[in-house]
Amino acid sequence: MTTMKQITTRATAVAALAALAAMPAFGVSGAMAQETVTLGIVTAQTGPLAAPGRFQMNGFDLAVQAINEAGGFEVDGETYMLDLQVYDTRCNAAEGASAMQRLATVDQVPVVLGELCSPVAAAEAPIAADFGVPLVLTVPTAPNLTEQGNEWLFRVNPNNFQLNEALAAFVAENGWSPLSFIAWNNDAGRGGVNGMRELLPDDVEFGYVGYFNVGEVDFSSHIANIRNEGSEAIMLLMDEEPGALAIRQIRDAGLDAQLVGTLAMGSSRFLDRLNAEYLDGMAQYNAFPPNAPIPRIEEFSALYEAAYGEESHGFAAQSYDGIFVVIAAMQAAGTVSDSAAIRDALAEISWDGVIGPIMFNENNQAEPPVYITQWCDDGTRRILFPDDLAADCGFG
Amino acid sequence: MAQALLEQIINGTMMGSIYMLVALGMVLIYGVMHVLNFAHGVLFMVGGYVCHFFFTQVLDSYLLAILGSMAVLSVIGLALERGVFRRLRDNLRMQVIASLGLILVIQNGVIAIWGPNALQMRITTTDIRVPIGELSFTLQHFLIIGTVGVTVTAIWLFLTRTRIGTALRATSQNAEAAQVVGIDANRMYVASFLIGCALAALGGALLGPLFLIFPTMGDLPLLKGLAAIIIGGMGSIPGAIIGGLGIGIVEAVSTLYIPTDFRDTVVFAALIAVLLLRPQGLFGVRVRGEA
Amino acid sequence: MTAMTALTAMTAPRAGRLAIAIVALLALAAPFLLADQPYFLHVLILTMTFAIPAIGLNLLLGYTGLVSLGHMGFAGVGAYTTALLMMDHGWSAVPAMAAGAAAAGVLGVLVGIPCLRLRSHFFIIVTLAVGMILFALFNNLDGITGGAEGLPGVPRPGPLDLGFMVIDFRRLGGFYWFALVVTLFALLVQYLIVRSDFGRSLAAIRQDEILAAARGVNVFAHKLAIFGISTALAGLGGALKVMFLRVAAPLSFELLESINLVLLTIVGGAGYLAGPIIGALVYVAIPEILRFADAWRLVLFGVILVAMTLFAPRGLSGMIEAGWRRLRRGPAVTGEEAADGRPA
Repeated sequence: MTTMKQITTRATAVAALAALAAMPAFGVSGAMAQETVTLGIVTAQTGPLAAPGRFQMNGFDLAVQAINEAGGFEVDGETYMLDLQVYDTRCNAAEGASAMQRLATVDQVPVVLGELCSPVAAAEAPIAADFGVPLVLTVPTAPNLTEQGNEWLFRVNPNNFQLNEALAAFVAENGWSPLSFIAWNNDAGRGGVNGMRELLPDDVEFGYVGYFNVGEVDFSSHIANIRNEGSEAIMLLMDEEPGALAIRQIRDAGLDAQLVGTLAMGSSRFLDRLNAEYLDGMAQYNAFPPNAPIPRIEEFSALYEAAYGEESHGFAAQSYDGIFVVIAAMQAAGTVSDSAAIRDALAEISWDGVIGPIMFNENNQAEPPVYITQWCDDGTRRILFPDDLAADCGFG
Repeated sequence: MAQALLEQIINGTMMGSIYMLVALGMVLIYGVMHVLNFAHGVLFMVGGYVCHFFFTQVLDSYLLAILGSMAVLSVIGLALERGVFRRLRDNLRMQVIASLGLILVIQNGVIAIWGPNALQMRITTTDIRVPIGELSFTLQHFLIIGTVGVTVTAIWLFLTRTRIGTALRATSQNAEAAQVVGIDANRMYVASFLIGCALAALGGALLGPLFLIFPTMGDLPLLKGLAAIIIGGMGSIPGAIIGGLGIGIVEAVSTLYIPTDFRDTVVFAALIAVLLLRPQGLFGVRVRGEA
Repeated sequence: MTAMTALTAMTAPRAGRLAIAIVALLALAAPFLLADQPYFLHVLILTMTFAIPAIGLNLLLGYTGLVSLGHMGFAGVGAYTTALLMMDHGWSAVPAMAAGAAAAGVLGVLVGIPCLRLRSHFFIIVTLAVGMILFALFNNLDGITGGAEGLPGVPRPGPLDLGFMVIDFRRLGGFYWFALVVTLFALLVQYLIVRSDFGRSLAAIRQDEILAAARGVNVFAHKLAIFGISTALAGLGGALKVMFLRVAAPLSFELLESINLVLLTIVGGAGYLAGPIIGALVYVAIPEILRFADAWRLVLFGVILVAMTLFAPRGLSGMIEAGWRRLRRGPAVTGEEAADGRPA
């Protein structure tokens, strides 16, 4: 475990792979026969959330690739290769439940990771408990998921409450009031708005709140309302694709308000959809600023770019960390098959991941750092929050 | 508030124009063939995709891409009319179910071919801004309104001034009488499907560049088009035109007063109310003898 | 005409009855056959959660000739009513489900009173509109339904002490029995209706509404009653679904799910007692077990659906029945097949 930690905080890019292979814990002595450990994955690969599902899957694949190219991982003196059994849940609760059931009882995987949609995770979690298989979430954000008293459910990524906490303080500090919202009419969007309602101090006024269904592309009604209410700032709670569209329409309509976004809007992909002029000054929370001058992030981003030819993504980083956390728990428990022992080890784990230190609280919710980044006029980003990690344009 | 009202009237006129194209196509098909084609929305969507394909792969001219898309969709419409809907004449239930099956086929076929992610199509008119006081719109907004205005006028002249158009209207108003005076029903079916699908393609090709081209882009225009022909009175061509435009403007303006997540609820509640209070629609007349 | 109606009523469901008997036997034995295959039990339960609303829709679509494109919205009413009664008011499962089904049925009647008088096209669109409005309510009323994040933690029924054994419905095997009883109840309702005078009047309405009215059938009252029963069954299925999944999520009750329900009812065979079961097995169980979940699967289903409307409007049940008849009597096209093949 310590060796793995050293790796993730040291070498860069391709060198990381070479370094991994050199590490004794990963090194494989020649022709030693290897067993394969198969982890279960539930994610959306088709359906409305196929696009974010791809980032999640890239993160899982990258972790498997890194571990296997380094010769596998060692548990209790044995070396294992890693494999994934992936099922597409299409953001559908019934399909999620079936996939989870299948992974737990047919494929009999020791641990399941993934999911994108909160209601689907809510259908999967009780099955994890029924059959004693830990479920490690890496993307869904509904806070209530980890408040059901289910000791088999873990969440690596920050939930809506945690994400909004940092942002609410930042909005208040900057006096962006009244603050209006355009949000997806789904679990992520509605959850985000409700989170902000709870967290924003009283001196920040709530302006217009507009929801749009997944698949709607005309934001003109929201824009007219926001202009009419004279909002200081607009928060966009949605994914990359509608986000880019919304910003284009906001600016094309001549509305010049401060833009506030989510982690989907702090990437160069997002810039490619628009241009620096559209984005200048926009601030967003981020669980993972891909260009932060932090070695573990630099390393992961280089690895990701080398593999997929695009800037890395928070969902990928969270999912990548999810796999490593599970492996670390297996190593701590000294077993690759005893799900109960792995669960107990997960509850106690302390792992230094790409997204930051990962430790599960009493609800099995991790508390990784949340950042605020801002777009600069040259199309780069800077980190404004947390103060100790602040970095200038080009490093966000 | 006056400014917001103006903004929403312009936005609503733009979307209303799109709904108008969808509603006009649906009402022609419904009037002549008595087919309620729920697949009209996915044909609209395919129109966007085909336009994008022509524009990026073949022609590099927006105008030609639109015309190409209309031509392709006319052929698809012809095939659907011959292969599916003509065979299900007078069987309302099976027509509706077949059109649901077509939605599955076409929507998922597009996903299988083009992938689930949206396509962008930037053209000059979407990058030019037209300022009106403090407000600003893209030129595409006005291109849509203008094109639809011209198209609808042309269709109206076609329906009232040409032989085929008059025959179409006659069939739409009274199929039996039309046959008695020697109008070939099969030719009318073909004509209505051709025009209906071409109009859907035009809608998709006009709206696609302004926003995005994606597999579900036709769902809302379908539902609003459906609402338009009901409010306008099933079978009434002026009703569909006014209904489409009206829904666009009313729903846009309504968002200034009602939360946007209930916007569609308002449209559908209004639809039910119209059906209950005036089942023949606002512009319809009680003529069609149908159970 | 009367003779033909009677003939249809008597001969058509015979193969269906046989199929039901086979399915029921297999279903009863499933927990023993699949003792170490919890996944297959899971898929069977999931199939039942689709089959129950499909039974409701079958009564409407297959036996009365009314199309509803909003049936999963009514299922959602039953689902959320049941979930909220159990979670917030401590009701136990059976009365909560009964209340959920009743709520969906009452809403169905309330929608039906003004709308069933409309012409059939308009009625289809009204059901579509009602389904969409219901979805918007499930999704948007955060304070009541939990909004888009859904309502996690929907409880399953408490254990049942039979004296000699205790059935724990919280476990998969126990819940399977619960789901089976609910499904058999729905099938019984369907059977009793179809075999009653009421059911025969519905068939008459389906074949020729004007003629039925001329023969003294109160068309509106019959339609209203069957729409209420049908939506109540949908509500029952929705309640079972959220209890099984242990989460009430709005996306389980959206328009697409309603369309899928129509699809599986048609594919299974509308107007056959076993149609909904066969449809649910084909639409839910087989793809789930084979796990081919890409876009081409839905393309294939669409093609099958369109082909069925054209060439086999009586669905798989109808094809099985025709095949069965051919085996026994040799190839023959019977009169009622030709007459009923394309219901108007």
